[in-house]
Amino acid sequence: MTVLGYLANGLVFSSIIVLGSIGLSLVYSIADFANFAHGDTMTIGAYTALVTFGAVGGLGGAVLGLPFGFFLALVVGIAAAAAVAVGTEKLIYEPLDIDSIGLLITSIGIAFIYRALIQIRFGSDFTRFDIQPLRPIESLVPYGVRITLHDVAIVGSAVVLVVGLHVLLQYTDLGRKMRAMADNPDLARVSGIRTKRVKLWTWVIGAGLAGAGGVFLGLFNQLSPRMGFNLLLVIFAAVILGGIGSVYGAMAGGFLIGMINQLTPFFSDVVEALPIWPGWLARLLESLVSIEYANAIAFVIMVAVLLVRPNGIAGEAAS
Amino acid sequence: MSRDATDLTDRRTLLKLTGGAGLVTLSGCLSTTDDGGDGSDGSDGSDGDDGMDGDDGDDGEESMGPYEIGMVDSLTGSLSAFGERNQRGAEMALSRVNEVGIDGRELSITVEDSESENQGGIAAAQKLVNQDGVPFLIGAVGSGVSLAIYESVIEGTDVVQLSQNSTGLSLTNFPGLLRMSPSGRSQSLALSNIIADDGYDEVAVTYVNNDYGQSLTDAFVNAYDGDIVYNNPHDQEQQSYSSVISEMNSSGADAWLFITYQAEFATMVNEAFSSGYEAQFYGADSVSGDSVLNNTPEGSMNGMKIVVPSAPVNEENYQEFASAFESEYGQQPTSWASYAFDCVINAALAIQAADEFTGAALQETVRRVSGPEGETVTSFAAASEILADGGGPDDVDYQGVSGPIDFNEDGDPVGFLQVLEVQDHSYEGIDFVEG
Repeated sequence: MTVLGYLANGLVFSSIIVLGSIGLSLVYSIADFANFAHGDTMTIGAYTALVTFGAVGGLGGAVLGLPFGFFLALVVGIAAAAAVAVGTEKLIYEPLDIDSIGLLITSIGIAFIYRALIQIRFGSDFTRFDIQPLRPIESLVPYGVRITLHDVAIVGSAVVLVVGLHVLLQYTDLGRKMRAMADNPDLARVSGIRTKRVKLWTWVIGAGLAGAGGVFLGLFNQLSPRMGFNLLLVIFAAVILGGIGSVYGAMAGGFLIGMINQLTPFFSDVVEALPIWPGWLARLLESLVSIEYANAIAFVIMVAVLLVRPNGIAGEAAS
Repeated sequence: MSRDATDLTDRRTLLKLTGGAGLVTLSGCLSTTDDGGDGSDGSDGSDGDDGMDGDDGDDGEESMGPYEIGMVDSLTGSLSAFGERNQRGAEMALSRVNEVGIDGRELSITVEDSESENQGGIAAAQKLVNQDGVPFLIGAVGSGVSLAIYESVIEGTDVVQLSQNSTGLSLTNFPGLLRMSPSGRSQSLALSNIIADDGYDEVAVTYVNNDYGQSLTDAFVNAYDGDIVYNNPHDQEQQSYSSVISEMNSSGADAWLFITYQAEFATMVNEAFSSGYEAQFYGADSVSGDSVLNNTPEGSMNGMKIVVPSAPVNEENYQEFASAFESEYGQQPTSWASYAFDCVINAALAIQAADEFTGAALQETVRRVSGPEGETVTSFAAASEILADGGGPDDVDYQGVSGPIDFNEDGDPVGFLQVLEVQDHSYEGIDFVEG
């Protein structure tokens, strides 16, 4: 496989992580706590889409190898994830009235509840969307790029959502209020912004993006009750790498972590090809830079970046 | 948004700790494959002749009471599905034994629950061995539990331990610990033979990064004569294995061997399919299952060969067992139930052949009644008759419903394995091999 092929794989995987990490970072900056239930919010989106898609079917036509019904299911999945997050905020986080560490611990409990409910309803086995898997796009195979139309759809949808969020944050009234509130909640309230309402919208957007990420993760891989939780560690790494609380940092962090994860085989090829001296060092590096440590390598790079920029890539903007 | 550094550090530490704790995943020491023992519906005429009413008073020897042995089973916990089937197999075997009786006495099994965990297993075994004083202990299901019981209760005593379902490779290192189910090593050997017979002299192997995957792969590497051009572990529950698949492809091998679990394998098959890679797949029994078939595209695994522990489903005694089991419980037995069945029969024969009902005497007979020497018999009644006529343990060779048994010096049975091939996206048995 060529470098181009690994980059393409990385792009697809990054898209999913970016969708997850933006929501996490957004909620962190405005609701002011690290939401551990975020991964399971992704799972909720994925399973809602599974049920919806099973109910509505293909609805005739298809685009990019995906039936129309899937896009409807995607929207319903996003809506369900947002609704569940808002419901949890209203019923639990808001009445709790504790500090951010307390909320963090609570969210771990919430994560378990989400997962248990899904497990009760769907069992612990894995499943997939009832969509015929595709073969790689023929015209790209000569370049060593082996991606399917589904992968293109994942990247395309992620780009649309990310651009949409960018427009919302920069050019709309709600976006300005959100940024104001992230910068200084007290000042925002004093100047007449209804912070509670903004907070709710933050939950809607953050959880909605997570729901979309979950649906795409299900399409990319498979659905299981632990799918979101298993990805959460990587998403946290992306958010911290990007600078926690910063939306654009989360995008960059998610992109980098996903890329590094998928580029590891390429790195190990490079290490093998390089004339490293002395021999024991070459052997050590060869055994360490291998795909079984893909996540570890991503984390090492994260630590290295944090040593240079303690607040993450976009840290300045965030603090 | 002001946030001072200490706050950030606290949060980060907490994130790490909780994330790490959450990642502690369920690791199965037993591959949970549900091989429904297919193709045995051809036998008839044996239903109904084995009622469970064998325990009516046997003449005047009631005063001697039944022979008491113990069984540690996974009645609850993560392996309780196995435990349930074990109980059915053991009950059927017990009724067969008590129809005939052992020298006029009955056999009785005290069952204790291991909760599928080491601590529970040890407590159960301690109760059976130290309080009830049983000289023969059937147990346990999980390999870790069997080993824990052996090391903390059995080792150093005369008590015979016979595990019904453990397949872990490490049990081989304890010759005193017998087991009825074949070691995973026999799968590795069978796979290496099949791959070599298919004419591949290069193979790419990937295995799940735990004791199960590592030990099976090590056994395969030792047994395989060709080149292993790729041999790398992968972690469980990752969201993508496309790097693994693409590296296997670039290794140039045309035969790919997967020693992993169902969900991981399904992901890999899907990724190989959507990357357009073609290879001949091979797999250990843990990669087979309906959930794999349901979640992979048609034709993505055509010709794949999988080796699964199996009862010899073409043998007459197995078919008789299967139909009796089905009429009793309304479903086909699994091979795990047949292992438990044979454990009880083997124990009963060992008791009958022994001079006295003690651990030391049973140690002498337990291997020999099913060992390769002696007359081949396939039922307890026939074996018991030889022993009652004055035959010794070496005059009987009990052939179980799960296989020929024949414990070797490590306490492992001769494994009986079935080779499955994926045809039209379903598993078809193509061959049987002895491991």
